[in-house]
Amino acid sequence: MTATQTRPEAAPMTTGRTINLIQAVTEAIAEEMERDQRVVLFGEDVGARGGVFMATAGLQERFGKNRVFDTPLSEASIVGAAVGMAVRGLRPIAEIQFADYMGPGFDQIISQAAKIRYRSGGQFTAPMVIRTPSGGGVKGGHHHSQSPESYYTHTPGLKVVMPSTPYDAKGLLKAALRGEDPVIYFEPKRLYRAAKGEVPDHDYVVKLGEAAIRREGSDLSLIGYGGVMPDLEKAAGALAAEGVSVEVIDLRSLVPWDRDRVLTSVQKTGRAVLVSEAPRISNFMGEVAYVIQEQAFDYLTAPVGQVAGFDTPYPYVQDKVYLPGANRIVAACVQALNY
Amino acid sequence: MIQPFTPEPIRFVAEDGTPVQPLPERYTPEVLRDLHRLMLQAREFDRKLITLLRQGRTTFYAQSSGMEATQVGLARSIRVGHDWVWPYYRDHTLGLAMGVPMAELISQCLGTNSDSCRGRQMPHHFAAQRQNFVSISSSIASQVPPAAGNAMAQKYLGVDEITVCTFGDGATSEGDWHAGMNMAGAAQAPALFVCENNQWAISTSIREQTASETIHIKAKAYGMPGYYVDGNDIIAVMEVCGYAAEQVRSGHGPALVECLTYRVGSHSNADADAEKHYRTREEVDAWLARDPITRLENLLAHLGHPVTAEDRAAMIAQTHREVDEQVLAAEATGQPDWRIMFEDVYADLPDHLRQQEAFLRAEQTGGRA
Repeated sequence: MTATQTRPEAAPMTTGRTINLIQAVTEAIAEEMERDQRVVLFGEDVGARGGVFMATAGLQERFGKNRVFDTPLSEASIVGAAVGMAVRGLRPIAEIQFADYMGPGFDQIISQAAKIRYRSGGQFTAPMVIRTPSGGGVKGGHHHSQSPESYYTHTPGLKVVMPSTPYDAKGLLKAALRGEDPVIYFEPKRLYRAAKGEVPDHDYVVKLGEAAIRREGSDLSLIGYGGVMPDLEKAAGALAAEGVSVEVIDLRSLVPWDRDRVLTSVQKTGRAVLVSEAPRISNFMGEVAYVIQEQAFDYLTAPVGQVAGFDTPYPYVQDKVYLPGANRIVAACVQALNY
Repeated sequence: MIQPFTPEPIRFVAEDGTPVQPLPERYTPEVLRDLHRLMLQAREFDRKLITLLRQGRTTFYAQSSGMEATQVGLARSIRVGHDWVWPYYRDHTLGLAMGVPMAELISQCLGTNSDSCRGRQMPHHFAAQRQNFVSISSSIASQVPPAAGNAMAQKYLGVDEITVCTFGDGATSEGDWHAGMNMAGAAQAPALFVCENNQWAISTSIREQTASETIHIKAKAYGMPGYYVDGNDIIAVMEVCGYAAEQVRSGHGPALVECLTYRVGSHSNADADAEKHYRTREEVDAWLARDPITRLENLLAHLGHPVTAEDRAAMIAQTHREVDEQVLAAEATGQPDWRIMFEDVYADLPDHLRQQEAFLRAEQTGGRA
């Protein structure tokens, strides 16, 4: 078993500044608004208030009420208006205050945003970004903690991303805004201020569909995305102390997702444990597990492990128990290692 | 001056063709004859497409017979190709009158290679880029919030376009209808909402749909004028929609127009015999007596420019000929093959779709391609 090491791409070394994830979101929006007049930003309380998490703080002051504005309290019209603006030639960023409130906008996402390019034969398109905080760990109960990404990965026509570092948050958001398709951009809210990291001073994007190897290893591939990533790294560190070499992969982007990087890793290690905090049934990681067993069956020395949320509504008091956490991840890894 | 919130629908021409108020000068006999030709063409298009449906050459059709004055009148109230339209699924007459070529409409209904929508939607769900006639979704009222956004973009861009959004009476019960109307009102966006109130949502009557006496009064709650118009009187439709469109264009915020009309045919092929199941023959007959094409013919006769039986027959024959030719031309282009499934899902072709395309290619070509 080899010692773990960190690849440069996991934390790009630059002369840049250290910021947190929410600052990365703000910077990405500001820079894209600066370079492209078509970019507008709106949602509930994003203007003078700067968003309930302050992701849009100062932007209305800087870019004016024409480009950064508050909307009626209506997710259907926020998403729907974004579709119409995109069709007419703008690059809207629609903020949904919590992913738990995407429900009223669901039909706009699946019937309009996701399908207008396809059904019109490319005559009309909806390049837009829906930003929304998701995931648990903030004592929010089920209406401020859910992880609904699998609803959207199940809808062709949408791209779905979830960063876990400031570098990726900024680069993915910029890439999403420069793309030609609707992107659902989930922001793991418990990492908003907890995740800190360097971002370069120069302009950059993180291409959608490329996973990042956070830590190289040879015994087991530990794969996750979003809010659980610090727990994966903690679990890998604990296992390293026991002499186990764990490769940690951050998917970053679910649709499209980086099959090549995942399969290459699993073919090397022979073991995979998949981690997310979304409920288990129809969890996106089920697709990752399927592809691993289909494409790398002969390499596997243990069944693909999964650590997910439970198939209960997200609880309030048992917030921390519900979430995967490093210990549960270590246990799943040990099970795979001892198989 | 056209007034909002009138207790009765605004009307210019009585059913017998007598003007009930002075007709503006722009309605010359030539203009009226042109409107008549468009309405009759749309009516015959319906008849021909229903025949194609019965022959199994298309699989769905939503006729707009009885609603021609509303749709043609609306088309003639806006700047085609400049303004934007988010239509609903019963708007082929609107499309035709906006100059969407019959060949395109028929190709879409048949799903042939000549279909600019690439055979991906069920029939009668058109999209026409040149006319800014945005792709139709079957999901009721889902065009309303995007129409509000389209208009907000126009306001942001500072252009003098407006956005027109059409829907039936049933759509006004949907949450998205409320959401879109409210958004447009709050944003003071240049949107013209037009309710084609044909009084039936498949088999649900307007009385079962809402306890509201009319649709147009709902505009009040969104801070916009609501106009109530006789949707079978094309002059009234053009006067009201034309006025409302220019008010919207000149920065007065959005407006709602309710065109009171009637769906004389069935909803679609799903309920081919409406009178057998949910409405009376007497009700339909009463509305047939208020037919918009007959009314315009009565007006032309009243003005001393009658449409003769020969004129009528010639126009009908011309439309039938045109439909027949376009159907044959469309069918001759063939049906798109499996490849079109993977295009236009995204701007690019992600790896997972590339792999699925390769799988289907092997299956469909037996490994020969």
